[in-house]
Amino acid sequence: MIRISGLRHRVLEIPDLELDARHIAVIGPNGSGKTTLLEVISGIDEPETGTIRILGRPPSSLRVGWVGEFPDRTLLFSRVYDEIASTPRFRHFPCPETDRLVLAAAGLVGISNLLERKVASLSGGEKALVALAAACVGDPEVLVLDEADSHLDAGAAERLKKVAQESPATHILWCTQSMDTAAMADCIIFMKGGCILYQGTPEEVFDALRETCYYPTIWRLRG
Amino acid sequence: MRVELEEVLFSRGAFCLRASGAFDEGVHIVSGPVGSGKSTLAVLLAGLMPPASGVVRWQGVNSVLLLLQFPEHQITSPTVAKEAASWGLVPEEVLALADLEERADDDPFNLSRGELKRLTLACAFTRDPDLLLLDEPFSSLYCERNGWFCGMIEERGSGVTIIFSHEHAVLPRVDAIWEMDGGALRGCGSVPGAIPSWRHAPAYLTYALEMGARPENIRLADAREALCRIRD
Repeated sequence: MIRISGLRHRVLEIPDLELDARHIAVIGPNGSGKTTLLEVISGIDEPETGTIRILGRPPSSLRVGWVGEFPDRTLLFSRVYDEIASTPRFRHFPCPETDRLVLAAAGLVGISNLLERKVASLSGGEKALVALAAACVGDPEVLVLDEADSHLDAGAAERLKKVAQESPATHILWCTQSMDTAAMADCIIFMKGGCILYQGTPEEVFDALRETCYYPTIWRLRG
Repeated sequence: MRVELEEVLFSRGAFCLRASGAFDEGVHIVSGPVGSGKSTLAVLLAGLMPPASGVVRWQGVNSVLLLLQFPEHQITSPTVAKEAASWGLVPEEVLALADLEERADDDPFNLSRGELKRLTLACAFTRDPDLLLLDEPFSSLYCERNGWFCGMIEERGSGVTIIFSHEHAVLPRVDAIWEMDGGALRGCGSVPGAIPSWRHAPAYLTYALEMGARPENIRLADAREALCRIRD
């Protein structure tokens, strides 16, 4: 359960929000506050006013896996293996355990072939997949995907969906510009100007957005 | 006006790119899996890197502009207005086009990612080069802005425009389709003939084809129109 009350932070103004769903899609125009909301929910930023509780705890006490749209901003190490190994190493896991976790995460995301590569030599999409593996290796309670799919081809985006669906995380918060992807969520929140305009199941939210370009293309086509 | 690739070969570590073909005046889309070499091909076409062998020929092309996948890599100035000016443009015109008039004095890095993308796209289209290379231009833009961007592409009267993308929802009308696969460039041909052989087509086009429709172009509107014609 995610509970937000009295939140005011930068553009955000969310008086009251309760999200009991596992897979939550966050959609809306550029500058509507989607990333800011994900940052305060994941504990990257502290809200100016208001409280956030996830699983009854403050965000900073949770294990959070974060995958951003611009992986260059979050990737720290020069070799792919070292990037994915960073979380278990920071937690002082024994080397064999770290190695097992890195190989498992790379296998899960389908990038075992990249482990020895330099991060700087990767394409934008490959960097996004490395960030995904690094986020998954820490057994996150909350997995946050901030437009992580925007540089992925259809095949890699399907892999990302599969990883998200099979993740043991209690909550998956997925900000996306792909409405076909958002339509797979248990719950959608549509943001504009820092506020939540619509919240509900994909059917409920997209029904409110039927006359806009947010309506999923494949739904529109199937009429 | 055209750009030709003649047996171009480029390698970096284990990765090897091979490309031959000609990009004539009009709008081209190049799709392909992650890591297949789309961005590398864009850099080669921009002339920013020489191929190991083979030739890139620019015929009648007097200006080239590559818009990078990550807009932050292209920013050089401390304010939004100064960034537009650094492209040799009148900031007021660019900011009006990008709908960022109220952000003129802001640090470009304080823009949202979509706003930053809009800024660089507006700069690129205002410069109006003969060869415009757009690497993942749709990423970060929400659907209404994608429509705005598609309009700018379709209104570009001349020149060669090459879009490197795997956008799945809002696409512009294009003239030709290309694919990168395992480092090799493959020309699918001109639209609409190329559409059935486009392996990276968005789901709505694939659906329309499966239903027996034959869209005239790659936009959602084309798929809907084609489906409408075959439905009772």
